[in-house]
Amino acid sequence: MYKLTVNGLHKKYGQHEVLKGVSLKARAGDVISIIGSSGSGKSTFLRCINFLEQPCAGEISLNGELLQTVLDKKGSQRPRDPKQLQKMRTELSMVFQHFNLWSHMTVLENIMEAPMHVLGLSRAEALQRARKYLAKVGLTEQQENKYPAHLSGGQQQRVAIARALAMEPEVMLFDEPTSALDPELVGEVLRVMQALAEEGRTMVVVTHEMGFARNVSNHVIFLHQGRIEEEGHPAQVLSQPKSERLQQFLSGSLK
Amino acid sequence: MSEIIQNYWQAWLWNDGYHLSGVAMTLWLLIASVACGFCLSIPLAVARVSSRRWISGPVWFYTYVFRGTPLYIQLLIFYSGVYSLHVVRSVDLLEHFFREGLNCTILAFALNTCAYTTEIFAGAIRAIPYGEIEAARALGMSPWVKYTRIIIPAMLRRALPYYSNEVILMLHATTVAFTATVPDILKVARDVNAATYASFEAFGIAAVLYACIAFALVGLFRLCEKRWLAFLRPMGH
Repeated sequence: MYKLTVNGLHKKYGQHEVLKGVSLKARAGDVISIIGSSGSGKSTFLRCINFLEQPCAGEISLNGELLQTVLDKKGSQRPRDPKQLQKMRTELSMVFQHFNLWSHMTVLENIMEAPMHVLGLSRAEALQRARKYLAKVGLTEQQENKYPAHLSGGQQQRVAIARALAMEPEVMLFDEPTSALDPELVGEVLRVMQALAEEGRTMVVVTHEMGFARNVSNHVIFLHQGRIEEEGHPAQVLSQPKSERLQQFLSGSLK
Repeated sequence: MSEIIQNYWQAWLWNDGYHLSGVAMTLWLLIASVACGFCLSIPLAVARVSSRRWISGPVWFYTYVFRGTPLYIQLLIFYSGVYSLHVVRSVDLLEHFFREGLNCTILAFALNTCAYTTEIFAGAIRAIPYGEIEAARALGMSPWVKYTRIIIPAMLRRALPYYSNEVILMLHATTVAFTATVPDILKVARDVNAATYASFEAFGIAAVLYACIAFALVGLFRLCEKRWLAFLRPMGH
């Protein structure tokens, strides 16, 4: 039984076809890394999974439940029932490259907001959850009343991970979570993500960190010009790449 | 000077013997129109930034008209213009409403400040980083929750410094109310001037009263900014 399946996803911007039929299957506990050079469509693919971008064709199901869609006038898919998409998004929480914390809310408010006003938890329950996940990402209670702008990039991204965790999602989506960070802050975020992977959480990670792809994930997808060029177990895909494109890509990435 | 204060202090501050007057009337004009304008402008600002033309277009037209014409003329239209229409005089409810100068004044002021406030709020919505709105969608918020919990609170905070400016401009704009026979501070000053010919003292006292109100408003907004804009304050690491 797959937690998340994506089947034949297509996405066009005008005439330009960014995704030409990309598929993905994730079992519980899978950590899937999506790699590829910029412009290969990897972020677009991730954003199509929770419909932040609307694909033109393809199927997405979570826990066996297919997201029902209709085509709009421009040829993009829209959810048939917005409520189904909203519910699916609560089970597919996302961590962004630029954190996207709500800047007018404190750390604690950021984490409690969606559990209270989307999942309908009481304030006390939400607070308990928030503290639990803040501790998990390694932030202390001294930081919980600060505003995002008063934290370092690494701390902000860890708050964003705690915010996603507080939804207790089925699958977590990470969109280049370390790309906007100073090099010395990358480690603290990767360590949190590794701990989550070891807990058995299902994660789909778009990343440039080859170390993470190799050591933490159990499946790697290499995207090139909107297609899956190569995929498989990281030991095989990253050590003995078959396709010329992937060989070129890996030799350019040094690690 | 002391005679003016002795004889007219009640009229200056709150009552001219018949009705509310002076500072109390000016404050009532300000609070009533700003409160109405504020409540109306929030949904209008949301409509103003809509990507759908048929929603944003009418709001654009409304703010264009009310920001493009002088408040004084708007007041004259509502006070004398509208009442001269046959339709208005033949409907009881409208007739009662528009016969009262105070009603016309508050209506004109509210619509005027609402137009400016709508543009201020719409600008503040546009200033919210797009990623923050995307995060709200990605966490499964419905459009209602997204607006009421994220966009509008963020918008109100970001708009605060510009909004405080609008309220103080509105305070000064209330001085045209005497045209519609509303006994605000300026009306009392004119009465005092007419009765005593002490023009400098009469208008000087009015100026001091306006300055005091403006000063209090600035202080109030400073407190609000301290509380609600802390997230924008730079802090040394």
